[in-house]
Amino acid sequence: MIEPNLGAPLDVHRAVVLPEWIDWNGHMNVGFYVVAFDKATDTLCNQFGVGWEYTRDKIGMTFVIEAHVTYDREVKQGDPLRITTQLLDHDAKRLHCIHMMYHAGEGYLAATNELMLMNIDYATRRSAPWPEWAMARVETMAAAHRPLPRPPQAGRLIGIKRK
Amino acid sequence: MSVILPYDMPALVTTAPLDIHRSTVLSEWVDWNGHMNVAYYVLAFDQASGAFMRNMGLGRHYVEGKHGMTFVLETHVTYDREMRGGAPMRFTTQLLDRDAKRVHLFHEMHHAVEGYLAATNETIVINIDFKRRRSAPWPEQAADRLEAIWAAHQHLPRPAKAGRTMGLKKS
Repeated sequence: MIEPNLGAPLDVHRAVVLPEWIDWNGHMNVGFYVVAFDKATDTLCNQFGVGWEYTRDKIGMTFVIEAHVTYDREVKQGDPLRITTQLLDHDAKRLHCIHMMYHAGEGYLAATNELMLMNIDYATRRSAPWPEWAMARVETMAAAHRPLPRPPQAGRLIGIKRK
Repeated sequence: MSVILPYDMPALVTTAPLDIHRSTVLSEWVDWNGHMNVAYYVLAFDQASGAFMRNMGLGRHYVEGKHGMTFVLETHVTYDREMRGGAPMRFTTQLLDRDAKRVHLFHEMHHAVEGYLAATNETIVINIDFKRRRSAPWPEQAADRLEAIWAAHQHLPRPAKAGRTMGLKKS
């Protein structure tokens, strides 16, 4: 397993907006923001030892059961992205977190992605408690993230607000 | 100033919910878990939003003719059941709310043969002025069509999965 990173928030994931992520509006398409965020989720899962090898070795999987995205500003082809991750909550088999995507050069917030992840048993393909080693790492990261303020984009309700 | 759209409008569909969009899970949408990846649900739903916008008269001609664009501001997805490569999808769309420049939509994705609910997507789409790249009121023809759609949708029951906030419910 990789060395735990206890920076708060987790700030290791970097990416670049690929040409095939651009749509007819000339910016990254809404679906590909989530492609980019999902790769940041892989980076997070690696921290807990539940990434690619976890599934390759047929131990388990992690499924997203719910997601909320705010699209705050456009990003264009070739833009560098920096994605940070904050743990919000967890229990025996779930993890609630939020990713923030920034333009890595200009610094502005481009989007946020709040997620509910669930651990899945490989054989039964049903929810199951996190493996012990993963839970220990989740607890350690959660302790490091606890002092962080809760981002205003977490827990949002969708609707048209009227004055 | 309201934009006048110079192209022909498609026949308006006021079925409630809108039930016209169909699609198939492409093999490149499948991830190492052997099912459609979370992001491609959003891409598939975005195409269903595109079908709703086309019904308002705001399809590809709207962007290619540089009249305007539509942007998604916010989206919420529930992943209810897995979809495999090649699975046929059927989408229904309910208009939950609207104003002068926004629509609030609720999509359901069903497995088109087995019928089960695979996912839902609640989303806000806003109209954008092409030149200024900022929000602007719907073109008049689109606004008229939106009102006709709203008249058909406004009395539908609100879906149980609409208006969710995320969190761990602890018993």
